[in-house]
Amino acid sequence: MLLSGLLAGVETGLNQVLKLDSTALPRLEHLAGKVIAVDCQSPATSLFIMPDGEGLMLAARWEGEVDCRLRAPASSLIRLATSRDKTAVLHSPDVELEGDSAVLLDLAAVLQDLELDWEYELSRWLGPVGSQLLGSHLRSRVNWTTQTLDTLRLNLADYLSEESRTLVGQREANARFAELDDLKLALDRLDARIERLAQRNKPNE
Amino acid sequence: MNDPRKNSDSEPTTHFGFKDVPESQKAEKVAEVFHSVAAKYDVMNDLLSGGMHRLWKRFTIELSGVRVGNKVLDIAGGTGDLTRQFSRLVGPTGEVVLADINDSMLKVGRDRLLDRGVANNVQFVQADAEKLPFPDNHFDCVTIAFGLRNVTHKEDAIRSMLRVLKPGGRLLILEFSKPSSALLSKIYDRYSFTVMPLMGKLITNDSESYRYLAESIRMHPDQDTLKAMMVDAGFERTTYHNMTGGIVALHRGIKP
Repeated sequence: MLLSGLLAGVETGLNQVLKLDSTALPRLEHLAGKVIAVDCQSPATSLFIMPDGEGLMLAARWEGEVDCRLRAPASSLIRLATSRDKTAVLHSPDVELEGDSAVLLDLAAVLQDLELDWEYELSRWLGPVGSQLLGSHLRSRVNWTTQTLDTLRLNLADYLSEESRTLVGQREANARFAELDDLKLALDRLDARIERLAQRNKPNE
Repeated sequence: MNDPRKNSDSEPTTHFGFKDVPESQKAEKVAEVFHSVAAKYDVMNDLLSGGMHRLWKRFTIELSGVRVGNKVLDIAGGTGDLTRQFSRLVGPTGEVVLADINDSMLKVGRDRLLDRGVANNVQFVQADAEKLPFPDNHFDCVTIAFGLRNVTHKEDAIRSMLRVLKPGGRLLILEFSKPSSALLSKIYDRYSFTVMPLMGKLITNDSESYRYLAESIRMHPDQDTLKAMMVDAGFERTTYHNMTGGIVALHRGIKP
């Protein structure tokens, strides 16, 4: 009953988010009637997902037939939920798929392609002018934060590699790696040459 | 479960809450209760159960095994909570019938579903659970949620549901039942006979209807009795699941 309550909350939240993308629900409608089972191996628990034109229905148990079954440990399922590239996670070796995998791949594609129109949702509450003002303010803040973090990362890298010499710089490291690669190749060649000489000098038996 | 006693005019009597009334009057009295509470039925359900009725209904959906193209009958469907979910599951090729004996409840349910865009695969029928106006072997799943205890002849209703189900079809009865723990039972009794009528008085200005609700729950057969009634009617693989300590139970039977 506790899990059902949790799923009910997640379902409501998820469907609200899906409504923010104008293409998500029509795409999910094509999957209506399909049932996807997700079996978490550790801890052992199951979840059933039923997509349709109104969003996703989640269930802790399902008595009907299942079209696709996904088995994976919790870590892979968390990666699947959070990762941008969900298809890459689905192809990892600890993930097992059974049944019609196209259903799951289609669902993953819909979730992966989500582009949430937060401004539309904001405009319902604040009106077009308010949402435009708030949206542009938030966008400029986000841009400023992103640029500042990029600059900080570059400056920090420069300081650590060039000024304090605490770390080796990227180019210097690349040069050393190239030298090591050359050295490895030279050693391989020398090894082969010694082997050949040893074969030549071996007395005939 | 009808009281076999007869009144002075020899008409069989049945219980209406803790009172005995002639059988012919029970449906009318139940109808009065639901006419009175229909408008605020959902609000009261949420308040009195603390939202738990939504989880009980979710569990019913999970156990229904309903698929695309199925035909589902939701008896005593009230405000259409189950019908809405079934409508999503059966899709455009399926069919859901929301049946209720009470026209006030049916109107509230119909308006609510139409407001939410649920229309294509749903039909609304005013019908008595004891005499279902549907052909034999018609539905894949029949549900009755919090309705059976208000039916005068429960055995007749269960037999009627069996008749309209296809062989292999499932009957799900979601109903208040008997708590499995004595302590919970005491707390639940105190809550039912003090808080529920009080909230009924405050919100719908009708404490009697909610007193009837509490009384009718006490008069309803317990888990094993209802299971035996389903078996007697002809259901197979009959099971029940207690929820919230047995306050509510979901019975399921399969038509052979």
